Amino acid sequence: MEKVLLKNIDNPDSARIEAYEKSGGYSGLKKAFEMEPKAIIEEVKRSGLRGRGGAGFPTGMKWDFASRDPKFPKYLLCNADEGEPGTFKDRPLLEKRPHLLIEGMIISAYALKAEYGYIYLRGEYPHAKVVLEEAIKEAYERGYLGDNILGKGVKFHLSVHQGAGAYICGEETALIESIEGKRGQPRIKPPFPVNVGAWGMPTVVNNVETLSNIPYIIEIGGEAYSQIGNPECPGPKLFSISCCVEKPGVYELPMGTPLKEIIYEHAGGIKGGRQLKAVIPGGISTPVLTPDKIDCPMDFVNLPKVGSMLGSGAIMVFDDTVCMVKVCWRAIKFFEHESCGKCTPCREGTGWMRSILERIEGGFGREGDIELLQDVAMSIAGKTFCPLGDGAANVVLSFIRSFTEEFDYHIKNKKCITQ
Amino acid sequence: MIKLTIDGKEVELEKPVTVLEAAKKAGIRIPTLCYFEGLSPFGGCRLCLVEVEKLPKLQTACTLMAADGMVVRTETEQIKAARRAMLEFLLINHPLDCPYCDKAGECELQDLVAKYGPEAGRFAEGKRQHPENFDDPIIVRNMERCVLCTRCIRMCNDLQGAYAITVTGRGSHSFVEPFSGGKYNCEYCGNCLTVCPVGAIMSRLHRHSYRPWFVEKEVETTCGYCGVGCSLILQMREERIIRTIPRVGLGLNNGLLCVRGRFGYDFVESRDRLSTPMINVNGELRPVSWQEAYEFVIRRLKEIKETHGPTAIGGIASGRCTNEDNYMLQRLMRFVIGTNNIDSTARLYYAPAVAYLEQIFGQGITANLIPGIANSDGALVIGGDPTTINPILGLQIRALWRSGGKVIVVGAPGGLKRFASYEVVPRPFAEEIVLSAVVSRLVKEKELKGELTHLEEKIKGLKEPAEGDLQAAGVSAETIDRMVTDLKAMETPVIVIGPELLQHGRPSKNLFLTAALAYAINARMFVLSERPNYQGVIDMGCLPDMLPGGRPIDFEMFRHKIEETLGKEVPQNKGLNLFEMIDAAADGRLKALYVMGEDLLFSLPGREKTRKALEGLDLLIVQDIYLTETAKMADVVLPAASWSEKDGTFTNLERRIQRVRAGRTISSGRPDWQIVSEIARGLGDDKVFSSAHDVWEEVIHISPLHAGLSYEDISEGKAIWPYHGEPLRGVEGEFDVEGLDSLPKVDTDAIILNMHRPLYHSGSTSRRSKALISIFPEPVLMMNPSDAKGIGVEEGEKVRLATSNASIEVKVKIDRDLQQGVVSLSNTFEGVNFMRFVDYTVEPTTGSMVITNNSVKLEKVKE
Repeated sequence: MEKVLLKNIDNPDSARIEAYEKSGGYSGLKKAFEMEPKAIIEEVKRSGLRGRGGAGFPTGMKWDFASRDPKFPKYLLCNADEGEPGTFKDRPLLEKRPHLLIEGMIISAYALKAEYGYIYLRGEYPHAKVVLEEAIKEAYERGYLGDNILGKGVKFHLSVHQGAGAYICGEETALIESIEGKRGQPRIKPPFPVNVGAWGMPTVVNNVETLSNIPYIIEIGGEAYSQIGNPECPGPKLFSISCCVEKPGVYELPMGTPLKEIIYEHAGGIKGGRQLKAVIPGGISTPVLTPDKIDCPMDFVNLPKVGSMLGSGAIMVFDDTVCMVKVCWRAIKFFEHESCGKCTPCREGTGWMRSILERIEGGFGREGDIELLQDVAMSIAGKTFCPLGDGAANVVLSFIRSFTEEFDYHIKNKKCITQ
Repeated sequence: MIKLTIDGKEVELEKPVTVLEAAKKAGIRIPTLCYFEGLSPFGGCRLCLVEVEKLPKLQTACTLMAADGMVVRTETEQIKAARRAMLEFLLINHPLDCPYCDKAGECELQDLVAKYGPEAGRFAEGKRQHPENFDDPIIVRNMERCVLCTRCIRMCNDLQGAYAITVTGRGSHSFVEPFSGGKYNCEYCGNCLTVCPVGAIMSRLHRHSYRPWFVEKEVETTCGYCGVGCSLILQMREERIIRTIPRVGLGLNNGLLCVRGRFGYDFVESRDRLSTPMINVNGELRPVSWQEAYEFVIRRLKEIKETHGPTAIGGIASGRCTNEDNYMLQRLMRFVIGTNNIDSTARLYYAPAVAYLEQIFGQGITANLIPGIANSDGALVIGGDPTTINPILGLQIRALWRSGGKVIVVGAPGGLKRFASYEVVPRPFAEEIVLSAVVSRLVKEKELKGELTHLEEKIKGLKEPAEGDLQAAGVSAETIDRMVTDLKAMETPVIVIGPELLQHGRPSKNLFLTAALAYAINARMFVLSERPNYQGVIDMGCLPDMLPGGRPIDFEMFRHKIEETLGKEVPQNKGLNLFEMIDAAADGRLKALYVMGEDLLFSLPGREKTRKALEGLDLLIVQDIYLTETAKMADVVLPAASWSEKDGTFTNLERRIQRVRAGRTISSGRPDWQIVSEIARGLGDDKVFSSAHDVWEEVIHISPLHAGLSYEDISEGKAIWPYHGEPLRGVEGEFDVEGLDSLPKVDTDAIILNMHRPLYHSGSTSRRSKALISIFPEPVLMMNPSDAKGIGVEEGEKVRLATSNASIEVKVKIDRDLQQGVVSLSNTFEGVNFMRFVDYTVEPTTGSMVITNNSVKLEKVKE
């Protein structure tokens, strides 16, 4: 398949506007400006594009909600707070293809009649900030941004807002709070950001990859786009694969490519030819899969059938030398550190789970600890304010479910099964 | 109409509310921690989880809006298990120090665990630790106990507007803390104490001195600090007030209090309280029995009346005393002794302001509801900072701004700094020029209603300031444009008038201009009141020219009515006002003065003049709760019961009458009305009053304004203007304005001493509160940074402050918001009080005092 998102990625100047324009960049924008804003939304709906941030909400529908709200101004926010362990798929887009994102945002803003946009960039992506700001400057100079874009009377201003290192700010309402200058904590929903978002105004928050798909949809049309990959959730998808594989990295593949194919064909198989033990298919908060389930196509529809989720498409592969208790402990440590503290179960429960896992891993596990862990996780699951706590509970529950004997071994023998 | 089912009960709702509120309506209690009525929903504690049919997950009742057809269950096994789990989570990091915690017994967490469990925790590792914080003088923070409900933060930010605290850190290491350790914006309102569900934010005043179940008696009363009249509850044990608390739903303050109301109650148990009546024998006050004191007062008053006539006697009523107290003093003077010489310190600005405005518009023009301010779309504040003089009224203005209204402050913005759309700060006392410019412009652009011809005629004769006048006032023409545009656009404006509008420059002109403005834009007016009962003093007839109910003494009809009802003669001639009494005492016309609840030497400018006048009296009776400076000069001192020890009523600045109720009497003081009544009986009065209620019964018989208004009505909150009585309205009176066709000269060189009205003090009472003194312990001179730089002083250093009256060293505090050329000093501390430095003149038109001799010399004191 021809690369869409990572097109020209090997060109050292791929981030420059000349190179981008030369390879056909900003043609989608020109085409879009010939269309009615409503027609663009219809086209995106027809494409079947679903949000690439993790939740997979239909993008066209989100835009439709926001555009129906009579309040102005409206805001377009790009969620570039890529912070989940294992996820680095937006990074090449931000660092190598900034104009694709900017073009996508201008088209989206035109469709939504939003005049201001912000890219909420992960605090730990300093290089991306430099690249994006340079690219935005170029776009202003070429008349793609400003009060009268390409002389068509379209106004859109764009700037980068750097986060301060909180995973929770990737949650859209926490992101909005943070942009407003407040403490990054999720808001009560409803009302949803499409109606009451940044500064109380209708706001669309889309992921980097989602927005980067927009120019292509306009270029080839929604109908053609919907034929790529799994028709139920079509399009090209970026997969970031890491841990125990020969060729870790970001791969652009059609939605629905089987997990097995990604691991063994694209990523070169398990490192050192070792045995596969477990795969986390969509970032640390998605439930872990055992090797018997890797035939599953990687998309929003099929992964839930085997008990997991596509999430951000961040595949983490573990071979038979890896201690699953330790992986679980490390994951929960992350959640404890990133829990914002707003709701009781996540704030207190993640720390509690971490401390139980710590003693199991450290050889101080007690009988009943597995049941206690499960009970604590069950007390968190479904009761937290936002999905962060659910993610933590899911990790613990799925790890115990899939690797009970390993946890048992740790407690009984005070050491790891892999040793 | 929304219909839903909660626990099998059908609930019908008129308007959409949350499931929690809908359940409350159906009498179903859903447990909560982070929810607090009046604060925005938070959804953090997860205790109010409920089951909703067709929704896969448990939902938080505090955030979920009730929808038609919803079926909700609030107490299933699944829910109970979830709540138990949430409580177990909360107890992970909550110390189980209940035996040591002051909150135990009224702790919401404790109560919830008692109901839902768990009976034991399974968390085996150590709890987080965070030292208890004693940085604040009256609040102690124990963040180990904090459950992060953020009620305190939402209270501080959204209702109080102090923005003093926030959550620092993340996850379970989140703590509620001030932004910067020690000194911060805290206004010490203590409203965070009200909302804290656990023992994380507590008062230091009664730390470890009581348990909540020690409370033997709760007394619902009205705060005695300022003219807002907040409702509060005294919690008593034996003879002591354990603490005072507000209650949501009670009174116009609806759960809020300010620092004075919440923490300042301990003045009643000050060591300075008088313990016995005293008579001056050869220059020394000696304890005597009540009987001796009464006999002495009665004998001397009789002698003086016989020798010099009734007009040689005068009375000073008190804005701190109840209506009943003030009525009785007025009654003694008028109906028993036979003189109209009665007045009070309401004369310093409040009474003249109200009288002048009523002359223009009719009685009750300033009687507007305080809680309505927040719903207005604009406010003009002039002559004082409402957030310090009347803090709860100030919160209403903050709320107005927050909901999108325009707030224009003329003068230093003080506590409205962040809540003012903009402030207009003219040079000292050039407000008149600003107002003249605004009114002149406004009436050119907006046609007047043609209702009040006198007022409109005068507006026509107003001199409009020229460009040069504005320049001298330090205000640009653009600012005037902006003010005019904004004022014109307001649909439901309010104008808030502070004391300084009258005490400087030309009071009648300033008041006239404000009235003209209010008339032009149809504004509601509020006059800030520094004392709890200035309005009551007026309404009870403690004025030399007004009878109870605000009836002018010149009208025979009103005098007759009282004479018929009481069978007593009412003196016809207008009496002496406060200033005239001082003058009359100085030149020997006044021989006896009965001062109730007022420290004249401390409260009036021109201390030396006052002192000489009082010295010249044949008889000075001082009835007070402390041995004040004035009391030290008295021939007889009568100890009175304090605010928390007596029954009665206060009338607040919106003319709402509210009950003051006795907790317990802890001193040997007696209620003021009772002392006055005893003396009246000795002077031949035959009427016996055995309670404050008896006194009120007489008030409602003779005051047409208060006719038929019973204590029951007052308790039920029905005593809101215009009661069921008859206000004197529609009588368009003549009035005078001084200097209609001229403008004042602005002195740009002088440094002016102004009165500082700090949030933490309200004169001599607050000085006796240990709590308030701990926040604001010593006199400080507030200075603008550039003025301070000019004489080379920094914060904390001393300057010598001098006028021709006094020259005293005082510490400097820098205040960025103070205008240049103005320094300010509060009238709080004996010896270094504002009034000591200045003198006054009286403007004949309004009878209001104007402060003089306030141009000061300042020099740095070399260490």
